[in-house]
Amino acid sequence: MNWQDHLPALLLAVPLFGAFLAPLTTLGGKGLRNAWFIFVSSVFTLIAFLLWVRVGATGPAIYVMGGQGWNLALPSGLSIPVRILMEVDAFSAFMVLLSAVAALAGAIFSVNYMERFSGVEKFVALYFLMVTGMFGMEITGDFFNFFVFLEISSVASFGLVAFWRDRGEALEAAFKYMLVSTLGAMMVLVAVAFLYSRYNVVNMAALGKVIEWGMVEKTALVLFLTALAMKCGAVPMHMWMPDAYAEAPAGVTCALIAVSQASLYGLFRVCFTIYGSFMGSPMIPWVIIVLGVLSMFIGVSMAVIQKEVGRLIAYHSVSQVGYMLLGFGVGLLALGDARAMADYGFTALKGGVFHIVNYTMYKGLLFLAAGALYYATGSRNLNEMGGLARQLPKTMVLFMIAAAAIAGLPPFNGFVSKLLIYESSFAVHPILAVFAMVTSVLTLASFVKIFQTAFLGPELKKFKDVREVPGSMLAGMTVLACAILVLSLFPTWSLNHLVEPAAKALVDQASYIGAVFAAAATGGGL
Amino acid sequence: MWDKVYTNFGYWDVYSWLAFFLIAGGMIFFIRSMGRKDYKKGSDQDEIFFGSNPVPEDGEDLKVPASSAYWGYTQALKPFYDGLVGLHTGIATDYVGWYILVTALVALLILV
Repeated sequence: MNWQDHLPALLLAVPLFGAFLAPLTTLGGKGLRNAWFIFVSSVFTLIAFLLWVRVGATGPAIYVMGGQGWNLALPSGLSIPVRILMEVDAFSAFMVLLSAVAALAGAIFSVNYMERFSGVEKFVALYFLMVTGMFGMEITGDFFNFFVFLEISSVASFGLVAFWRDRGEALEAAFKYMLVSTLGAMMVLVAVAFLYSRYNVVNMAALGKVIEWGMVEKTALVLFLTALAMKCGAVPMHMWMPDAYAEAPAGVTCALIAVSQASLYGLFRVCFTIYGSFMGSPMIPWVIIVLGVLSMFIGVSMAVIQKEVGRLIAYHSVSQVGYMLLGFGVGLLALGDARAMADYGFTALKGGVFHIVNYTMYKGLLFLAAGALYYATGSRNLNEMGGLARQLPKTMVLFMIAAAAIAGLPPFNGFVSKLLIYESSFAVHPILAVFAMVTSVLTLASFVKIFQTAFLGPELKKFKDVREVPGSMLAGMTVLACAILVLSLFPTWSLNHLVEPAAKALVDQASYIGAVFAAAATGGGL
Repeated sequence: MWDKVYTNFGYWDVYSWLAFFLIAGGMIFFIRSMGRKDYKKGSDQDEIFFGSNPVPEDGEDLKVPASSAYWGYTQALKPFYDGLVGLHTGIATDYVGWYILVTALVALLILV
């Protein structure tokens, strides 16, 4: 047995262990706590990378916890297998890798960013718990476990959003997030119960094999769709997002981006892998497309008029999620029609998958840059800022990279994913591409607004003593900036090695299902 | 690795754009280098022109605040923005209400 077989388990065990040990690290002082924060984050990023390489080389990885053997997927004689089954295909591995990079960048940034506050060991523990839940959502092969991991990541994020508990706004944001998020999680649980009552299984692959298109399945799909769309911030269920993202410490928001992507992952896993070609109605893809267009346009329209830097960027999160929903919606529409899939469906999926990685990187960087502005000036209000290019030149350059990427300016990576989405959605209906392009123009306008009001303009007396942010904050931002530059300068490599395998895995329902049943056969199950 | 990205409709070549930016950057620096270097520092030639008025000492009196950005755009779309901002009440029960409303609408579309 190869030690790399245990990578899926290690991916969950390392941050979980990191979380439980974090409070103890205070005994060794700030230095030990910070070292632990960075060490654990680096280790899980390395594991995520190795897992991505392994899955790319050998195909989907199966791992079972709580069974008789780690590779015993479906043991014989157990009609209701109770265990944690993980299945990592190219799409899961892709999600895990980019989530890990975002979490690592957030952790590095937080070392200096959080040093002014007390209770940072609790912050570190909650951060790792959130990361554990996020990874769990992305690699689980079981719907009930998906719900459990969703709850772990959500509960940890509530605590992190409310971390600055002396701020009423932070508590309010956490409460609102908790309210809608818990309701959404309950709906996911009800959907799982519907499917369990019908098929007596919660295993995703097993469900994908037996599912039919009936009333129970439709009801479950509606509950999954709306709950997970709400968790990733689709309009008009997005209103918790600007509150929570703007109030959470910047390093947390960087990781929260990846958490919301894990919900998006769940949505696409349900639509493509579980229902997939069994989905008997084009209405679901159209619902996703409409949610996407609404999110793009409403999100960016609200962003343009914001005065708080965090809220402005948070509304852009809503807008960017819209692009992904549009891309995947168009891809889902073409599913089952080989010609449409070849003509525009797969291009849309590639655009959607590429936009996931692009969004996670540049949006993470934008939130970190917003955090750097807050750290340096003590204000989140753009009206109070100005002329900061003199004091924060490095932050400004890093912000510019992210802003150009999100606005889709050539030659940055945002342009490539948007181009794929524009062209493929145009094939479905030109109005979809028009909305996407107008959104891009307004995105550029709002980032010009931040750049002009925060960094340009005359020097303000009150900011004369402001200095560039500390090294760890710059390092955290640089990690993401480097990722953006690599994705921008090597788009073909990114598409061939990162995006296409993930998009192919998403549409290859048979491979995902087959991997679990093959593991069952080799492991002695079934 | 260095190939173009084909989209089924066209292609994207990042290196052509990089070449364009390099050439454009070179031209900008060339034009800049042709500027006069013999201006007198500390004299009126070095002063900021502020509509013939004295330049305020604190930049605070000069800067354009974020709330003034895109004033014309927001004024032109005032009815749209009034409605849009009105929907964002910030009330927690409204957040839940929107979620339930969307769930009900999607259920209606899929189940009926």
